[in-house]
Amino acid sequence: MKGAMSDTEQRDDTATDGVGDWAGNPYASRMVEYTPYAVALGMKFVSSSAGRGEILLPWREDLVGQDGTDILAPGVLTALIDHACGLAIMAGLGFEAAPATLDLRIDHMRPAAPRASVTCSAHVYRATRTIAFLRAEAWDVSPDDPVAAAQAAFTLNRRSVK
Amino acid sequence: MTVPIDLDTILNSSPFARFLAIAARADERGVLTTMPVRDQLVGNVMLPALHGGCVASFLEIACLLQVALEVGTTAPARAINISVEYLRPARRETTYARAKIRRLGKRVAVVHAEAWQQDESKPVCLLQSHLRLPARLASE
Repeated sequence: MKGAMSDTEQRDDTATDGVGDWAGNPYASRMVEYTPYAVALGMKFVSSSAGRGEILLPWREDLVGQDGTDILAPGVLTALIDHACGLAIMAGLGFEAAPATLDLRIDHMRPAAPRASVTCSAHVYRATRTIAFLRAEAWDVSPDDPVAAAQAAFTLNRRSVK
Repeated sequence: MTVPIDLDTILNSSPFARFLAIAARADERGVLTTMPVRDQLVGNVMLPALHGGCVASFLEIACLLQVALEVGTTAPARAINISVEYLRPARRETTYARAKIRRLGKRVAVVHAEAWQQDESKPVCLLQSHLRLPARLASE
């Protein structure tokens, strides 16, 4: 992709270049709007900027974890968090970055409120040439009172990498 | 285990497990959990590959079923945290999983699970979880 890497970038797997040189991707919302599983779960694009992504998952009856609780299944949040991380990367590097999740760790601090929609915000806190490290939080009412917190590492497939 | 656990009852009581069309049966090795492929589950249309989130949720459910079978209750355990590792892209194929309880405490269980597709020796995804066990058990 154009502009995502500077010509002087080091060819060193351990180099950290952060997201300062990420070009941005005005079409990033498409990865929420056109990914089949994101569509199936009803995810809604909220916002994105280079290295950041935010997605809303509206409450839906068939996504509840247990009959009678009206609480979204934790597995639904896993997909939401994973997708918000992907959005944060693609919002900076473009779709060609083709991020693939290496690992994802989620703490479920408390159940979401019954019938509550959940929003997830993810950000890249460090990126090397080939790996992005992310943190993400998900909340129902207020970002100050998260239902889940996550940390993830993704591989990046940068075009100009041999 | 004195009372046989009906895995279908547990799956049917979870709208999200029904959404993923997850099926399970118990055999001599524990619970074998199955997730049929469906276009809706795709996360990467270019490869194509199943969405990492749906494979992880599938493994979470495999863990819950194994706990239900071994503990002998249909009351659901709850995830405290999970850690997922993606080893290979999950293709547009039926996915299978087995979970193993590594430690069963009074309140918390440590459960590991693996998902594979055609070849069990080539897992596509690993999951480790801490599950809070149903309160009824803790008080027994």
